[in-house]
Amino acid sequence: MQRSYLGLRIPEGMHDLLPEELALQERLEGNILTIFRSWSYQKIVTTSLEFGACVQQDPDGEDQLYKFFDRKGRILALRTEFTTPIARLVSTRLRGQELPLRLCYGEDVFRNSAARHREFRQVGVELVGSREGLADAEVIALAVEAIKSLGLKDFQINLGHMGIFLGLMKEAGIEQDMQAQLEDVLARKDMVGIEILVRESSLSEEWQQLLLRLPHLHGREEMLDEVLSWSGSPQIKAAVEGLRQVYRYLADFGVQDHVALDLGILRGFSYYTGVIFEGYVPGVGFPLVEGGRYDTLYADFGYPLAATGFALNLGSILGQFPPEPLANADVLVYGSDAQAVIRKCQVLRRQGKRVEMALDGLSAREAQELAARKNIPVLQGV
Amino acid sequence: MHYELCIMQQIKGDGFVPRNFLTIALPKGKLLTDSIQLLNKTGLDCLQVDEDSRHLYFDFPEAQTRIIICRPTDIPTYVEYGAADIGFVGKDTLLEENKDVAELLDLKFGYCRFVVAMPEDKVPPLLPNGEYDLSVLNHQRVATKFPRVAHTFFSLSGMQVVTIKLHGNIELAPEVGLAEMIVDIVSTGKTLVQNHLLEVAPILEATTRLIANRVAYRMKYERIHELVESLRTHVNGVA
Repeated sequence: MQRSYLGLRIPEGMHDLLPEELALQERLEGNILTIFRSWSYQKIVTTSLEFGACVQQDPDGEDQLYKFFDRKGRILALRTEFTTPIARLVSTRLRGQELPLRLCYGEDVFRNSAARHREFRQVGVELVGSREGLADAEVIALAVEAIKSLGLKDFQINLGHMGIFLGLMKEAGIEQDMQAQLEDVLARKDMVGIEILVRESSLSEEWQQLLLRLPHLHGREEMLDEVLSWSGSPQIKAAVEGLRQVYRYLADFGVQDHVALDLGILRGFSYYTGVIFEGYVPGVGFPLVEGGRYDTLYADFGYPLAATGFALNLGSILGQFPPEPLANADVLVYGSDAQAVIRKCQVLRRQGKRVEMALDGLSAREAQELAARKNIPVLQGV
Repeated sequence: MHYELCIMQQIKGDGFVPRNFLTIALPKGKLLTDSIQLLNKTGLDCLQVDEDSRHLYFDFPEAQTRIIICRPTDIPTYVEYGAADIGFVGKDTLLEENKDVAELLDLKFGYCRFVVAMPEDKVPPLLPNGEYDLSVLNHQRVATKFPRVAHTFFSLSGMQVVTIKLHGNIELAPEVGLAEMIVDIVSTGKTLVQNHLLEVAPILEATTRLIANRVAYRMKYERIHELVESLRTHVNGVA
């Protein structure tokens, strides 16, 4: 049947990949996965479709899920990220395995949003079953290596800690309602909103100052001492010292130059509980890397494990790389005797050559022209 | 300098990557003069920036700054994609466009209010508390440049309205029967009076805001923060 106007199109935000584009994605992804493997991460694939019950954080909230129904009327959703599906997988089929588990992935995620890329490649790791700061440092250092493997030299990782914000909330006695509002304005980076919210609150002047200062704490280790001078709360102290330890390990990994401490990166309504980080590249308007520690997500799946990890949004930046040169065939085989042509091709292929077979009994001259057009260096007539 | 090319340049190694270079998007129209004067006070000698000069951008190499001039409604888009690091934009536009940008500072000029207005002779009955009873307007049509703001306002009151997006002369819509009411911004209220319209409900107040791309705000934090603090001093000094 002749396809209609719609039948010739693809849905918004979807991208076909042409050979040059796919070659680029595969090379970059391959480099990253090679590094993941050399850090002892095992690659896995989770299902593209999950039950909504697994991946839907808040059934009342807006989400970015592409949703379907199964034959029993239950909601299915395409994965928007891997952390939650991997938590589901580890809590079921990998339960009881020796910890920590080091898992990595490189597959597409799907987001029903207004973005230019609503299906895109994500590569990342999850380090499951360790509370150690060393585990956080490992995944951050690995994120740095992954970005470097893209050929980028100018990039930056900003490193913060959710525990400092959560500790302040607790110590200031901020109620759930107000905390939710604060998380919302912080997530939207609405500094004007934060100011209005804090100024109109019943908090003491001192707490107001601290809350307004928090998103602006940015820099190197000295900045952490300022936070300690605010409060003796054990939760805040633990968070600050935890962050300091991770930051120092990063010097041992040799990647600290790429990392800035930044208590302004706070993400509201996320599963992150501890160290969080984002990776930026100049000229890219969204974080290339997002990651951090999430110590309560696994408990939601009945298998309370601490975990940390990151995802790199590879698919969203592919368009900004130079086109990948395609590998041509090494040899063009032509001739009028199809049987001889086939035989010759097979012999050459067994020798490891990339062989293109001329299909329509070309003359020597036509074959020469074809090889020139296609940049095939060797011509083999039979 | 095309920002998009940054990765390309890094890969090819022909290197000027403008790490500390700042692109500022300013809105054409009524907010432009105030924006330029405010920026000028922070030490950027930019009084020559002018939308009538037909230039779309102005470079200040010594100050490592570029100013671009855009339609007000496009500013959140430029900033969201990182084509501009920061921008000056009305809160009204910001709410309507609903882009993922960081809102850094209330610049306090360009004050206006969002209101619901109706023809004087068709206003709804008054409630005992002195407000108009909007509930009789359920499922009616609202002409507006700000469908998102209008929709949010009515849905928070548990109502549904049909929003009709227009690009100008909103006041005409009730007169010719295109809509029962309008949602629009007013600064003095004169236009409403001229068109025999009456405000039946305030929605919210808006002023100009400084917004930033969320990555630029982290990567160029010192530069942007310094500008924010300088702007804050001048804004508060004026107020």
